[in-house]
Amino acid sequence: MPAFASCGEAIILGLVSGPACIAACGPILVPSLLAEHKGFRPHARYLSVFLAARLLGYMLFAVVAWELGLLASLLPAPRLLLMGVVYVLLAGVLLWYAYSARRSCAQPCADSKLVQITENRNHGVTGAAALGLLTGLNLCPPFVVAGIRAAQMGSMAAALLFFTVFFLGTSIWFVPFVGLGCIVRNQAVITVARMAMVLIALYYISMGIAMLLGKKAYGY
Amino acid sequence: MATDARTLPLARPAPRGIGWSLLLTLPILVWSLLMFFNPGSSKTPIWIISGAITALFMTTLFFMMMRSRSTYRWRRIFFVSLGVLFPIGFIYNIVVMRGTMGIPVEEMIAGRTPFCFMPIPMLILPAAFTRTLVFPGSIASASHGIAAMVGVWLALTLVMGKGWCSYACFFGGIEEGVAAIPARAKIRKLDPRLRYLPWAVLLAMVLLSLALFEPAYCMWLCPFKAVSEYVAARNLLGLVQNVIFILLFAGLVIVLPFLTKKRTQCSWFCPFGAFQSIFNKISIFEVKIDKERCKPCLVCLNACPNLSLSKESVARGETLLSCMKCGACVDVCPRQAIVWHIKGTEIAWKPERARLMFLYAAWAMAIMFGGSIIAQGIATILHFIV
Repeated sequence: MPAFASCGEAIILGLVSGPACIAACGPILVPSLLAEHKGFRPHARYLSVFLAARLLGYMLFAVVAWELGLLASLLPAPRLLLMGVVYVLLAGVLLWYAYSARRSCAQPCADSKLVQITENRNHGVTGAAALGLLTGLNLCPPFVVAGIRAAQMGSMAAALLFFTVFFLGTSIWFVPFVGLGCIVRNQAVITVARMAMVLIALYYISMGIAMLLGKKAYGY
Repeated sequence: MATDARTLPLARPAPRGIGWSLLLTLPILVWSLLMFFNPGSSKTPIWIISGAITALFMTTLFFMMMRSRSTYRWRRIFFVSLGVLFPIGFIYNIVVMRGTMGIPVEEMIAGRTPFCFMPIPMLILPAAFTRTLVFPGSIASASHGIAAMVGVWLALTLVMGKGWCSYACFFGGIEEGVAAIPARAKIRKLDPRLRYLPWAVLLAMVLLSLALFEPAYCMWLCPFKAVSEYVAARNLLGLVQNVIFILLFAGLVIVLPFLTKKRTQCSWFCPFGAFQSIFNKISIFEVKIDKERCKPCLVCLNACPNLSLSKESVARGETLLSCMKCGACVDVCPRQAIVWHIKGTEIAWKPERARLMFLYAAWAMAIMFGGSIIAQGIATILHFIV
């Protein structure tokens, strides 16, 4: 019965936190999806990989934090450090993604088959996996809330179950992103997506560095 | 063999008669007087003088538009004046109220940050998701309030589309003035892909505003913070923000317009301009190219200050979505193939009438919105002189 109750609590927490989750993941997910093939199937595949990697990130963090006894009591300084590292890595992946989209676009973009931005299917999968994993490790507010609640569970298995169900609750909110597959892909859309990725990467890299500098950047 | 009259080059239309021009200017004169001398309002002598100067200025420019039948150069005088006088009036006001150009965090928490139109696209998603405005300003304040600015913007945008960027924006005038200084562009070859950059800035800023729950553009990328109000830097991060503002202003508003003779901030960066482009689909006024009359000599491509024309768009007989309706291409076309146009009508249907209808709407808006800013700037200058 307590397991059912905690699962119910986790899914409700996930459902109500969903908008905050898509807000936190939006800057990463939207441009990278727009740089993908047109159509529902490529988007569904990308999103599945992204979410699976995000779940893996959740689990990894939960296991490590549980073992270290930090799940609920991660102090501001190490939290800032972790987020700084994640932000810098996210920026790196986004820059790589923007660059590789250009490279794969170079040949077919000249003709009407522009939608075929890449023949290399691994491009999207690798990028989605890397971005999903890093967003899973990103300590966004809903994740912190779930972490605090999961820390009160009796065992690591119960905490992981809580995280998994919480993740499922939030994931429902990501389904509409598949709709981005309807948007026409042409040189304009892909270029805008790539440029946006670079800009967002610049933001993450500057914030990441600021977080790593900590007191020197923030003054407190 | 009969020749279609529309394929023949046309002589420049002769200036309109002074009487007709005055008659056409009369509604604008009345509107100016109503705007700056509305009955029942008590005004100081400085305000009366600045209002009179502004009314005369705006009416004279409109008269010249009517008389010369050209639009761009007269509009540019207004627009550059707006761009130069806005910071003067604005900075004076905030220094009087706050004692500094910097916005301290306390002012933001208290919701006293003046609202400009730039963050409007960044407010939409957070408002939709959380019913919260992510701007540290007041909704109901009469001056610089969010509701007032959004209301004015919406009303004008539905009519003008991206004409806002040529007749109302108080930021674009500085770069248009700088772009007018050199006789020739030093850099002529411009990568057409840079036209996509404002859309990328828009996408990135809208998404980051939702993620960070703050108007990301205002916090990080607005070049005009350098001439309006900057972040009161209390740490390294604040210093970095201000350095970004200054570098963007120097690069996009001063150096690049001087080198390219284009409005580079508007063409390559402004996310609000990209957002505003969408409303060109709604606005009934547009600029079209009569394909039968067009040669094409592509003089218009060089004249367009916003890179809103391409060879492909000219061949299609239309401007790009980013057209700001400034009139530069219309005025410069040697065959008068580029015309003001009202959607739903034939392309050759009385273009001068379409121009007049557009200009009445645009100039009324310019007087109401930009005119009050010009008057404020003049009043500030007079305050220091008198």
